[in-house]
Amino acid sequence: MASERPGPPTYLGKPTISPFPAAPQTTMPFLSSGPVVGSEGTGYRANTPSGSNGPPMSSPPSTYASPNVGVHQRFPSQQYPAPVQQISNLRGPPAGQPVLPPPVLPSAQQVLPPPGSFRPQPQIPSMPMGSPPQSANLQPPRGIVPSSPLESSFSAPRSALQSSLHGYPSNQANLVSQVPPMQSPSFLAPQGGYVPPPPLAAPVGLSSREQMQHPGVGPPVGAMQNLVEEFQSLSVGSVPGSIDPGLDPKALPRPFEGDLMPNSIAKMYPLNCHSRYLRLTTNAIPNSQSLLSRWHFPLAAVIHPLAEAPDGEEVPIVNFGPTGIIRCRRCRTYVNPYITFTDGGRKWRCNICSLLNDVPGEYFAHLDATGRRIDNDQRPELTKGSVEFVAPTEYMVRPPMPPLYFFLIDVSVSAVRSGMLEVVAKTIKSSLDELPGFPRTQIGFLTFDSTLHFYNMKSSLSQPQMMVVSDLDDIFVPLPDDLLVNLSESRHVVDAFLDSLPSMFQENLNVESAFGPALKAAFMVMSQLGGKLLIFQSTLPSLGIGRLKLRGDDPRAYGTDKEHALRIPEDPLYKQMAADFSKYQIGVNVYAFSDKYTDIASLGTLAKYTGGQVCYYPGFQSSIHGEKLKYELARDLTRETAWEAVMRIRCGKGVRFTTYHGHFMLRSTDLLALPAVDCDKAFAMQLSLEDTLLTTQTVYFQVALLYTSSSGERRIRVHTAAAPVVTDLGEMYRQADTGAIVSLFSRLAIERTLSYKLEDARNSIQQRIVKALREYRNLYAVQHRLGGRMIYPGSLQFLLLYGLALCKSIPLRGGFADVQLDERCAAGYTMMTLPIAGLLKLLYPRLIRIDEYLQNASAKIDDFGKFSKSLPLTMQSLDSRGLYIYDDGFRFIMWFGKMLSSDIAVNLLGVDLSTFPDLSKVSLCELDNEMSRKLMAILKRFRASNPSYYQLPQLLRQGEQPREAFLLFANLLEDQNCGTCGYVDWMLQIHRQIQQSA
Amino acid sequence: MAWELLLWLISFFVSIALLALVIYQLICLSDLEFDALNPYDTSSRINLVVIPEFVMQGALCTLFLLTWHWFLFLITVPVTFYHVRLYLRRKHLLDVTEIFRLVNEEKKYRMVKLGFYLVLFFIVIYRLVVVAVTLLIDEDVDMHESYTF
Repeated sequence: MASERPGPPTYLGKPTISPFPAAPQTTMPFLSSGPVVGSEGTGYRANTPSGSNGPPMSSPPSTYASPNVGVHQRFPSQQYPAPVQQISNLRGPPAGQPVLPPPVLPSAQQVLPPPGSFRPQPQIPSMPMGSPPQSANLQPPRGIVPSSPLESSFSAPRSALQSSLHGYPSNQANLVSQVPPMQSPSFLAPQGGYVPPPPLAAPVGLSSREQMQHPGVGPPVGAMQNLVEEFQSLSVGSVPGSIDPGLDPKALPRPFEGDLMPNSIAKMYPLNCHSRYLRLTTNAIPNSQSLLSRWHFPLAAVIHPLAEAPDGEEVPIVNFGPTGIIRCRRCRTYVNPYITFTDGGRKWRCNICSLLNDVPGEYFAHLDATGRRIDNDQRPELTKGSVEFVAPTEYMVRPPMPPLYFFLIDVSVSAVRSGMLEVVAKTIKSSLDELPGFPRTQIGFLTFDSTLHFYNMKSSLSQPQMMVVSDLDDIFVPLPDDLLVNLSESRHVVDAFLDSLPSMFQENLNVESAFGPALKAAFMVMSQLGGKLLIFQSTLPSLGIGRLKLRGDDPRAYGTDKEHALRIPEDPLYKQMAADFSKYQIGVNVYAFSDKYTDIASLGTLAKYTGGQVCYYPGFQSSIHGEKLKYELARDLTRETAWEAVMRIRCGKGVRFTTYHGHFMLRSTDLLALPAVDCDKAFAMQLSLEDTLLTTQTVYFQVALLYTSSSGERRIRVHTAAAPVVTDLGEMYRQADTGAIVSLFSRLAIERTLSYKLEDARNSIQQRIVKALREYRNLYAVQHRLGGRMIYPGSLQFLLLYGLALCKSIPLRGGFADVQLDERCAAGYTMMTLPIAGLLKLLYPRLIRIDEYLQNASAKIDDFGKFSKSLPLTMQSLDSRGLYIYDDGFRFIMWFGKMLSSDIAVNLLGVDLSTFPDLSKVSLCELDNEMSRKLMAILKRFRASNPSYYQLPQLLRQGEQPREAFLLFANLLEDQNCGTCGYVDWMLQIHRQIQQSA
Repeated sequence: MAWELLLWLISFFVSIALLALVIYQLICLSDLEFDALNPYDTSSRINLVVIPEFVMQGALCTLFLLTWHWFLFLITVPVTFYHVRLYLRRKHLLDVTEIFRLVNEEKKYRMVKLGFYLVLFFIVIYRLVVVAVTLLIDEDVDMHESYTF
């Protein structure tokens, strides 16, 4: 790998590295030693690492040496590249060091033994000394480093000696490895073999170094710290995690920045589409299946084809006119920046299948001296990774459809009582002007309780005409033509209808819901054109086909093999209907409102296969949730939507997309049918290698989304990206993209819950993380005898936390009692479509303290950044004198501390908290004072960062049980809750598992 | 003896039909894989013949039981049981929405079934021939006897 990527150092990106400029230099000396050692033969090799390890314990410099040696032995050139991780290390250790030592020292004695299996206790006395020296030592050792090369050969013996001195004598393995905690069984054997030599050298080490001072456990730990630090600066690419339970949680990595898009790939391939559209789980494609099998994460792409671009970065539209769209003859790849022109510009070579194609006469342009087309700069399709082609008639099977919205509204008693009907009617009415596609937009309505109500909205009528169909067994559409009308022509009728809708059913006491028949009827109405079907359902379907049973309230099903059956549709009709909807280009969005069980698992299936989404408002009350529904429905209606779309992703020879995850239906092996897709949907797809060995240097991916825009134009949006092929596993880990991996993990786990127990889904996540980190560890740790440390690539430093968050996310959390079945299913459906940034935000929400900012009179909203600091999601972050906002992208939870100064609450809420008002009924609105305005500005700002959903503020007073427990505490994922471990325990658990079979 | 011949003739045709149905399903599935058929058509075509196949196989099994052909009955009864179980669990039909995820599994399942039906087919042919031959020989014998007497 080294040979391929000398570049890695370039993407250090972060300046933090600079502090350690010395590191490279120091390493150099070792380089020389390294090769020497290597040449000595295997036996000797083993020694060197051990020797090197030895020093680490006692002296930092030696530590430094060891990593180098080890590295070079195996990967002569590569090791330097990885600086990326150093950054994290650098940050980590400084924070960690001060913290670490204290806890370590006391605890280390007890703590270390378990992992190490050794008996460091004798050394305990020295412990206290260890920590301070350790940090102090850091600098001096470095200075010494240069000299270390000399000793490198000796180092092994030395270390052995020391260790023996330290009282490990009995344990030979220890002698060598030195770091007591680390020992993993596998290491023991080799080390044992080498033991003999060390003793000889021992005296040297002792005399040469003053490390003797810290014979205790303390020094080893400190040394470890150093070792790791150096190790990182050597760019091995590992970050120290936690081992010691005494470890300070503050030192653990946390993704306060949110989603970090990979930028190294953009530098390497500037012509790629922006990573908001396409992200790979690793930006380094393995060249062989054996390499792929050692990468235990999914190899996959996460695609967000219609991601909203910031102003000025919109996807350019290209119209080839009569020339037709230029595509490869064989593989049908669209023209893209990576194709090359030859033969004076008369031919072009496809980058995906390398076939030579003719350039059509109209598209011909001469090449300049460098082989570029002279008109290159005027052609966005040759300079931009993302373009949109206007598709000619060959890309249509029928004339482009108009945007069509059909509303299927439940008007039974619960819908009326909760106020849902009124909010929906008002919102639709207010959105009518902004519906896309004027003047072609079509609209229609159908309401139902125990009967179906059709509405004739012909433009010649002044009032809508209602027709009731009560024969549920044999559904027919009473008036085939005028149920769907052109909005601009029948606007007045639609307005009149929406005005009267809430009052029309005001007195309705019908509790039944003929959902299945209504669905059939809607299908019959829409099947001519397709479009978007919005379903508003507030009770369990109880009449006609598709009626559902109450099945979610059986706690006994959990933990058994039948558990998963609760999460899949009960009645095959729903799947069948979904398939039919998809076939006729109908996308379904489900809005559910009930406070009781509504079988979201079944209803959501309709959205799942039609590219739709599920919005669930449990216990909907218009006074509380009205705002949220209004915003989200309006967004659904007005956001740019791609109609009757299909999406396909092509990739180079040797790789193939195999499985797809998200909301869509596969129409052929690799064609995703998306009847209506919009900017809030992302899709994931896994890759596999077809050939055993990839011979190309680069793999290209091309996503093509063929759709009808609301304006009635057929278009193809094409995103092209390239990724390098590598031969080295370390490079794959270095180029890994945590966000994409987490997105894949969440989709795979949620799919798994549909056929297995929740427990199994959680375990599979954990197992995959463990396997991958074990592989990584085998890659690096062994040479360095880093046995006791948990190492992981800097690119994946947050992965463990996200893994934990995923296990605690609503779809996977706990068991029966932890989350209601409907909520679980709805969250599962939502997470299956979430783009990466939204998902990461949901998994690790922001927790911010805002009372200081609110009280600071001079602070303006622009300074908010200075005041707001994301806090770890743990109870310790909450101070009873503070006011906090918890923002997961779907809601705000505002936590008022007990001792919060009362004027804040009065200013913000208009009520005094000391009177113990019921905060679930208090809604937050702007009051006429500075503080309230400031708060609203903050909320507005937060909302702007995630416009897909409306974050409803939920207020919470400290000690207000049980709301506090399930609203906030259950979501503080670093704490122990929901029957699962906290962050520190999770790290330890993973670490232990990694070591078990390392 | 003629009854016996009839039985084996019926079994012969039924097993040919079973083979044909399974092969048809396999062809549909591979057409789907090669994009020659869309999932809707594939699943509706296959689902159309699933029940007839189950019924025929069940009938054959019952026939063996009623005619006291223990060996063949014991060979066919596990498959019948499996079919019944699938049917009761409502898993006998192809799921059009997940068809691409299941296509390999379904193919494997049908290949196994194809193998089974082939074995059955050969056994039936063998028995048919044996019965037919003995019948002919018997007739010969009868004729000889009639001549001698």
